[in-house]
Amino acid sequence: MANKHNKDWGAYLYLLPVVVILVTFHVLPIFYSLIVSFYDWDLIGKPEYIGTGNYSRLFDDPMFYKSIWNTIYYAIISVPLSIFCSLGIALLLNNPISGIGIYRTIYFIPVITSINAVAIVWNFIYNPDFGLLNKILAVFAIEPRTWLQDPFWAMPCIIFMSVWKGLGYNVIIFLAGLQNIPRHLYEAARIDGASRWQQFRHITWPLLTPTTYFIFVISSIGSFQVFAQVYMMTPRGGPLKSTMVIVYYLYRKAFEQFEFGYALAAAFILFIITFSVTLFNKLYLEKKVHYS
Amino acid sequence: MRIFLIGVLITWLIIVGFIIKGDREAAGLSQQQPGTDKVQIVFWHAMGGPLGRVMTDLIDRYNKSQNSYFIKAVGMGSYDTLAKKILASLVAHEAPDIAQNYETLTKKFIKHHKIVCLDDLIASESEDIKDDIIPVLLENNTFDGKLYSFPFNKSVPVLYYNKDIFKRVGLDPEKPPETLEQLAEYARKITQYHQTTPGADTSVYGYGNSKANVWGYLNRILQFGGKIVNDEGNKSHFDEEAAVNALLSLQTMLFEEIAKEGQGFDHQNDFIAGKCAIIESSIVSKVYMEESLNFEFGVAPLPGQKTKGVILSGTNINIFNNGDPRKVAGAWDFIKWFTSTEISAEWSIRTTYMPVRKSSLKSEYFINAQARDPNLKAPYVQLDYCHFEPRLTCWFEVRDLMADHLERASIEIIKMKDEYRIGKPEGWQFKAEQDTRSLLLETIKRQCEEMAIDVNAILRHNTD
Repeated sequence: MANKHNKDWGAYLYLLPVVVILVTFHVLPIFYSLIVSFYDWDLIGKPEYIGTGNYSRLFDDPMFYKSIWNTIYYAIISVPLSIFCSLGIALLLNNPISGIGIYRTIYFIPVITSINAVAIVWNFIYNPDFGLLNKILAVFAIEPRTWLQDPFWAMPCIIFMSVWKGLGYNVIIFLAGLQNIPRHLYEAARIDGASRWQQFRHITWPLLTPTTYFIFVISSIGSFQVFAQVYMMTPRGGPLKSTMVIVYYLYRKAFEQFEFGYALAAAFILFIITFSVTLFNKLYLEKKVHYS
Repeated sequence: MRIFLIGVLITWLIIVGFIIKGDREAAGLSQQQPGTDKVQIVFWHAMGGPLGRVMTDLIDRYNKSQNSYFIKAVGMGSYDTLAKKILASLVAHEAPDIAQNYETLTKKFIKHHKIVCLDDLIASESEDIKDDIIPVLLENNTFDGKLYSFPFNKSVPVLYYNKDIFKRVGLDPEKPPETLEQLAEYARKITQYHQTTPGADTSVYGYGNSKANVWGYLNRILQFGGKIVNDEGNKSHFDEEAAVNALLSLQTMLFEEIAKEGQGFDHQNDFIAGKCAIIESSIVSKVYMEESLNFEFGVAPLPGQKTKGVILSGTNINIFNNGDPRKVAGAWDFIKWFTSTEISAEWSIRTTYMPVRKSSLKSEYFINAQARDPNLKAPYVQLDYCHFEPRLTCWFEVRDLMADHLERASIEIIKMKDEYRIGKPEGWQFKAEQDTRSLLLETIKRQCEEMAIDVNAILRHNTD
């Protein structure tokens, strides 16, 4: 009996480091921010309790709605686009061709590069006067645009760059998923005369759904938290606030206008949105996943 | 394996230790300079480039001029970063002794008793310092009747014009435009000359400004005799006649294609390249542009319309209440020295920022410098009709919103232009001149109303 008790303590001891880290950096801040969101606090003064004042002001702020809409726009375009592109590339990279290691490295380099460095380079690419993009379009006699300074194009530009940046990560995961699919299924299908498309549709796609589901969930959460590229490429939230996303909105409220309670109320609503989206994915989409 | 892990851990701790130490030193927080008994005064600022060099030069001179205090200037890069660091330092009880600040933040500091009221320090002086401070600057730094900060790098907007282009198109290079109407007339003449004269560079245009330029727009409102916000600070005047005319005067020039708006400093670069004849910019730009200009240029006060009016820009410095009377005394001694008649005059001439004192304007150094460079006269004549922006806590938010509205207005007007103008180079033919003008006025009126509604929604929550 005493022996078993000792064993339990050992297990708790092993758990301790990760529990301490999770509680200090995740659980406590979440509850702390929930509490502060009911206060009016400019950081240097004493927080003043105002009940749901921050929330009612938030629901009265057109810029907050705009930032939610912009974030949803970003998520709805970037997540499927990223999955589509990375699956395509993963299928290509899954073939036994020479120099495969080099190609895989090339696709993975943007992932490990600092987002700030990447954003600066893409700022040059999108530059209306001497940017690469306009130079390339000029070859095809397409009129130059002002890209990041154009209210219509700013968000697509950010989305395109973000998809490019995150592609490698998804490709690697898809590759792992593809290699888990047993070879003999394809062989059997080929003997039965299945075309490449039929093989993809009836073997690859269904057996890849656990991977696709994982990527979908992870990218959805990530896309609701988009910030760095917006901050770096479109200061002030872009032309006519066309790239003002929720995290940038609350960053400005907190660190530029010093309204911490208000910003944390916005952060909490973002948490609820992200949580609901993930819950929806879990309850609805997971049913469609084939865990073989 | 275990030894390796412990080794990694120790290396990390050492690195983190050095980072913390280096960080505190860089921020000027590690106390006294070793080997001296001078009191160290930490000054956080955001001055870089040629202007920052002038400041460092003056601070060095102060440090050598006496034996009691040592000013340690720490650059924080931008005003944004500076404000964030100051707030964080106040929370950590490691605030600097002096810092540059905008009025909105000063108000916050006063509310929470974080800064020293300068009236008490001035009272102990034999000289009547307040009486010598330029009135608008004194008023700008006075909160509820008490002086809490000193003007530091205050600048005014001016008009820069290319005298060579003026001569080329037959304008008198010594007569810059005095009203906004004249400005439009000159810009029209310059643009049309270059469009229609054989051999002339057709890319030259009359007037350049930066996109979504809130400062410029507020100046124009004053020039049309208007006001920005009401005295209570809970309602704007943007839907009124002066604000409409201010926007109309600018947008009509864009519509006519005699003016262009650029991103950031595009208009300044066009001016340097000789593509743009007249630009509106801060007087401080003179220091940055001067060396690259290879033509004769003039600096003029901004044109007026109904009246003259310009708005100050830039920060003030204040003393933090860190509980050490020696540091407060040192900070005050430095500020007194920096804003004294002679040093203030030198600071002003070398950087083009406004001097603090009336006596600086009359000092020999000042008058000699203006005689050497007549372009140094324009900023100072504007002091007589100089104002400052509303010192509201939410003002930066309002400004940001205004920038959006101004940008949207320009985008709309430029679209309208493509729709209503016919014939490219010669003359500015509109489909039905009168209709276009009234359409333009209607559009601008609506834009101003929309701006007023949005801004008022923020001001309504104003609690100052």
